[in-house]
Amino acid sequence: MITLVFYCLSAILVFAAARVITVRNPVQAALFLVLAFFTSAGIWLLLEAEFLAIALVLVYVGAVMVLFLFVVMMLDINTDSVREGFARYFPVGGLVGVLILMEMILVLSSTFFNKKAENISLDVPLVDNTTALGRVLYVDYLYAFEIAAVILLVAMVAAITLTLRNRKESKRQYPEQQVKVTRAERIKLVDMTSDGN
Amino acid sequence: MNIPMSDLYVLLPEIFVLTMACIILIVAVYIPKQLMELNYHLAQVTVIGAAILTLTNLTESSSIVMNNMFIHDPMSILLKAFIYLITFTVFLYSRQYLRARDLYKGEYFVLSLTALLGMQIMVSAAHFLSLYLGLELLSLSLYAMVAMWRDSKQASEAAMKYFVLGALASGMLLYGMSMFYGITGTLELQKISEVIATGKIENTLLAFSLVFIMVGVAFKLGAVPFHMWVPDVYQGAPTAMTLFISAAPKLAAFAMLMRLLVDGLQGLHTDWQGMLMIMAILSMGLGNIVAIAQTNIKRMLAYSTISHIGFLLLGVLTATKEGYSASMFYTIVYALMSMGSFGMILLLSRAGFEAENIDDFKGLNERSPWYAFIMMILMLSMAGVPPMLGFWAKWSVLNQVVASGFVWLAVVAVLFSVIGAFFYLRIIRLMYVDKPEDLTKIVVAADMRIAISINGLGILALGLFPQILFQLCMNVF
Amino acid sequence: MLVLSHFLVLGAVLFCISIAGIFLNRKNIIILLMCIELMLLAVNMNFIAFSHFNGDIAGQVFVFFILTVAAAEAAIGLAILVVLFRNKRTINVEDLDSMKG
Repeated sequence: MITLVFYCLSAILVFAAARVITVRNPVQAALFLVLAFFTSAGIWLLLEAEFLAIALVLVYVGAVMVLFLFVVMMLDINTDSVREGFARYFPVGGLVGVLILMEMILVLSSTFFNKKAENISLDVPLVDNTTALGRVLYVDYLYAFEIAAVILLVAMVAAITLTLRNRKESKRQYPEQQVKVTRAERIKLVDMTSDGN
Repeated sequence: MNIPMSDLYVLLPEIFVLTMACIILIVAVYIPKQLMELNYHLAQVTVIGAAILTLTNLTESSSIVMNNMFIHDPMSILLKAFIYLITFTVFLYSRQYLRARDLYKGEYFVLSLTALLGMQIMVSAAHFLSLYLGLELLSLSLYAMVAMWRDSKQASEAAMKYFVLGALASGMLLYGMSMFYGITGTLELQKISEVIATGKIENTLLAFSLVFIMVGVAFKLGAVPFHMWVPDVYQGAPTAMTLFISAAPKLAAFAMLMRLLVDGLQGLHTDWQGMLMIMAILSMGLGNIVAIAQTNIKRMLAYSTISHIGFLLLGVLTATKEGYSASMFYTIVYALMSMGSFGMILLLSRAGFEAENIDDFKGLNERSPWYAFIMMILMLSMAGVPPMLGFWAKWSVLNQVVASGFVWLAVVAVLFSVIGAFFYLRIIRLMYVDKPEDLTKIVVAADMRIAISINGLGILALGLFPQILFQLCMNVF
Repeated sequence: MLVLSHFLVLGAVLFCISIAGIFLNRKNIIILLMCIELMLLAVNMNFIAFSHFNGDIAGQVFVFFILTVAAAEAAIGLAILVVLFRNKRTINVEDLDSMKG
């Protein structure tokens, strides 16, 4: 039964992934990627990684892919011109890809990987996946956790630096400067000799 | 398991850099425009402070802390010391250039310092996870720095290429890491090396996984055939960012190579030797030959970087301690020379003018004999002319290559170096023989003038006494 | 019965699709960014499979961090893309040719 579920999900996943790189429209590609992530989450559930499966759906489908869609729509790309030339590269590229895949499959189906799941004890028996992950994440992997926090900070700083624009054309008032104006700044009395003297 | 306080003591330089980066981030938001200099001074204080913290915690042996993620050993200390030195000088060189282009902002310093933090983490990585996270921290900061000049078409194009190929490289590296994790059942470099040493694992599997790791590392180093991004990024990025990328991150990339191949996969050295050999020969060949055809000096130096990367791989592929120290010596010398050369390009640039073309160096001797002299030292050193430091770096690597029995490889390396000498000498000829086209006076702040003079003269002086630096590298391994 | 190889081969298929996507795609940078996400998904698949079959949670922790970094990477990548689009009014891969040599 589980095997059947696995094959169904894998088929959908591979189909979705293939569509991501072959569809004409970037919006469709993004939606197929969402499908791919969703199906992967299902496969991860089979592998008893419940927390990550949910995180994948929440973080990827919920946040990252929405960001992708947002950018795709914001940039307003002319989709007609987007795909020409694909057919030109497809035969060679596809062939190379399939060859590499064959070699990888050959290695990966070696008897070394022909094993069934061991008794999953995960060091701490009888706790759910989230608890087990939490216990190591904040204790054993504290260092990595801190670095990940810095990476997110960098992403934030970088994204803001790159895209925030103080538009020069948008005019606004600065009340604090208006209040501080003194007479000397606005009026200048000039001594002049009158003409004709 | 709790983390003992003594572990945090070892991490002080990293904690200090992070804290200061956050402080600069806040300060930069609130200070008025007139006080912008404060960011620069804070950043320099950070680098000096981190250097003091690192150098007061010297060690002869290696200790692994933070639950086997962070290694504190002589190699990491030496590399970090040079990373600080280079970062300090890079800030100093970039000042005038960035100010003229409205890039002299708090964000530049914050991103530089997080890149510095990433390098520190990479240099001290003892675990796949810390290595990966350090690498990403460095790379993400660099992508953003390249794109920071938002009005430049070339800069954003360079950033995009850098980003896509960098992310591809990370993906490759991660795939390799996942395979090693699956085969050996651990993520700690030391344990991986122990498992491989038992010899119970089929070699095909290990070699298969190694290929992905090597492709990832080669991308990051910029070795042929994974070098496509280097020329475009060097040319397109604002020169101050090119200066940053070309110097200190090379030391971190060298550290990554050592941590992965030597600390983790020493058992597979017969496999990686061959791969490194191919990459080294191709890099030296392509780098030196294509550089001749360039008219843009940043692009030319990019190809020269590729050839230098090839040379430093030669030392690593001997798989001996002496070879590693020769490579490390080479990397440090290269970073110092590259810093000086890009410093010279910055020096000739001014508001509204990018000194990018080789012709901009025409008749430099008439405009300023002193800078022409400094540039000559740098170019002679890059070409490997004795008695410059660059010569000793090449010499020590070649020595080790011959000592390991690869005489033909040493001959090939010498041949390519002779070809390479041509384009460095061409710049010297332009500076001394040709007439200047551009007669604008070179205006340089006093601190930069002093720094670049020390940089150039240092390469000459250390070249006369190469033992000083070489001994430091020898003692590490 | 499902064995480790099943999941590894699935990961390899995804990995190859994403690599092929990166090299075949000459027109649209957004698709390139999606391919990178797909590649990281393949790696994650590997890590989780190994984690499950070796009975070791470290692999799942690694995936947790890859997800974090990938989100940060996507943010920066898209930010660079927006800057690029503002400058060149195109995100066509073949238009990125202002530097040659």
